[in-house]
Amino acid sequence: MTSQALILIIGMSIVTFLPRFLPILFLSKKEISPSLSRWMSYIPVSVFAALVASDVFFVDGAFAMQPLQNVKLLPSIFVIIVALKTKSLLWSMITGIISITLLSAIL
Amino acid sequence: MGNKTIVKGLKASFPIMASYIALGLACGIVLFDAGFSVFSIFLMSLLVYAGAAQFLAGSMVVLGAAVPSIILMVFFLNLRHILMGASISKYVKNKSVGFLAVFGHTLSDESFGINYSNFQKQDWTADDAIVANIFNYLVWAISTAVGGIIGSHFSINTQIMSYALIAMFICMMVMQFVSKIYIITAIISIVLSVLLTIILKHNIALVIATVLASMIGYYIERKLEQRGAGSRD
Repeated sequence: MTSQALILIIGMSIVTFLPRFLPILFLSKKEISPSLSRWMSYIPVSVFAALVASDVFFVDGAFAMQPLQNVKLLPSIFVIIVALKTKSLLWSMITGIISITLLSAIL
Repeated sequence: MGNKTIVKGLKASFPIMASYIALGLACGIVLFDAGFSVFSIFLMSLLVYAGAAQFLAGSMVVLGAAVPSIILMVFFLNLRHILMGASISKYVKNKSVGFLAVFGHTLSDESFGINYSNFQKQDWTADDAIVANIFNYLVWAISTAVGGIIGSHFSINTQIMSYALIAMFICMMVMQFVSKIYIITAIISIVLSVLLTIILKHNIALVIATVLASMIGYYIERKLEQRGAGSRD
């Protein structure tokens, strides 16, 4: 392993561990206000939606909304339908992988 | 921590494990393709344990990004865990610092999702949660290493493998749809992050979109509540 890879891994581990550990450490000792915790209940859905948007609607950094240019659009619709029906991570991933494989082969 | 807790934790983590095997294999393949050795993939999974961040690192290394900018992006990507950790912290009160460190290190998007909904039921304890987390953690580390080994023997289309991550995020978003306000919040977050990404041309757009969308969601909830209270008068 190169020293660069090691530095990268250690750096990543620090910026991953601290945001996970510090809030649990400090906030587990005292109560959070109800309004703060109600606001925070909207955080996960917002995070995932933002990640989905940046992953699905952009190709090589450019906004792409044409199904022929952006091969990720149609599979994402299939994945949403399967996710709504099954609530299963595994089935969603299988649907996504199969549909994008087939679509990339056709286009 | 008895056998019952271990069985319970194991049972609860089965769905996550299954997806971690698939996703871990894909992530290992992507990372090997980016030039990481099987050992460094395994080490990364043990020390970092963040699927999205590890995928991101792989794709940024391929693009030739510098180490500090990859670490910064991973930091931004992980800011969401502050809020997840904060919202799950009420369920791990009175636990030792060591327990909280392990719980924090093994807090992933998926384990948060499963634990958060399980905690809302009566019979789920912090011990059950940490057992489930540790199983998922080990399965992830082993799967990524095996992915690296597979990647070293076969050539696989990593672009398709990367889509596994998107499918996972879509499903995790959908699992949060417990009321209409959450669906509206998701749509607002999508629109904001697209607009802000185009304007700012930087990944920080996602952090801003997340904070704004969640505040709007909370604002809508309060407005509806006030209106409901008003109509009862």
